[in-house]
Amino acid sequence: VLVLVRSPLPRLRALLQRCWGRLERGLWPAVFGGQSPPWGPALAVQGPALVPQGVSDAGAPSLPESVVWMAAPKQRRTIEVNRCRRRNANKLIEIKRNIDVCPECGNLKQKHVLCGYCYAKVKEETRLIRMEIHKKEGGPFNAPTVETVVLYEGEKPTEKDEGKRIIERARKRPSWFVQD
Amino acid sequence: MRLSVAAAISHGRVYRRFGLSPRSRLDLLRNLVTALVRHERIETPWARADEMRGYAERLIDYAKRGDKDERAMRMADFWLTEKDLIHKLFKVLAPRFQPHAGSYTRLLQIPNRDGLDRAKMAVIELKGNPLPPLVRPRRDSDRTLLNQLLKGYRQDAQRARGT
Repeated sequence: VLVLVRSPLPRLRALLQRCWGRLERGLWPAVFGGQSPPWGPALAVQGPALVPQGVSDAGAPSLPESVVWMAAPKQRRTIEVNRCRRRNANKLIEIKRNIDVCPECGNLKQKHVLCGYCYAKVKEETRLIRMEIHKKEGGPFNAPTVETVVLYEGEKPTEKDEGKRIIERARKRPSWFVQD
Repeated sequence: MRLSVAAAISHGRVYRRFGLSPRSRLDLLRNLVTALVRHERIETPWARADEMRGYAERLIDYAKRGDKDERAMRMADFWLTEKDLIHKLFKVLAPRFQPHAGSYTRLLQIPNRDGLDRAKMAVIELKGNPLPPLVRPRRDSDRTLLNQLLKGYRQDAQRARGT
């Protein structure tokens, strides 16, 4: 490449020629060893025109800079993984092993709980006895100062029921209400 | 070293919390005790029955002192809101439980309540009440091994006594 350098100073001209020669041969220390890219005359352009216009573009982000990034699942959980999670032992309903058969009525009951059927029978009979008591007492706040005994049809008070108040029930004595 | 009590820890507390305030809790339990003394068998949530049991038994212990005792009368006056039950307590329940040393009540669990809350219910009753019994005492069958051995032993003893 023939360089025409027209400078009035002969020393400057010699210096420039020597620098140019070194660059051509790749001996300039600024270039990395080996193949240096071919130098050639390039167009010198003014600075601000070359800067890319990416900062003040119309595609600015709509979120403000102080956004908080939240966790979200990256992948869909497969049905196999879901089944493993939903059906493992600690999520299933515990099976109860304390269920027995009531020896009186044959219904199912829990071991530490009274039988529902038998308790309903006793509750109904208690309600009827309390209705009789209410009829006998007549009004509120008339609690007697003696014991009470319940007698069914055809029963006479024994010598144990001496000073007690007697409540009559108009039916046969049920088999499960044993007279003491 | 922790010097203050954290809000949610309740290690060692024996009394449950009921109602709106401690006074309300005592009023609730007082109503239950009155109902128990009146009807001799009541059905209520298990926690309330369990809490009330101690108060009822201590009231009967006070009643056993006799109605001349000033403290016993004041206790009965506070705990029984219906004043005719004070007579019942001193004249009926105290003589009934005189031979017993303690445990005058029986607490049994019943199936959960039918309403929306499915609460754990219990029935608490005074022993010796005139109402039908809740649980029939079951004797073991005669066919069990222990009962058969005991039956054999009884027969041997009878034969030895007879001869």
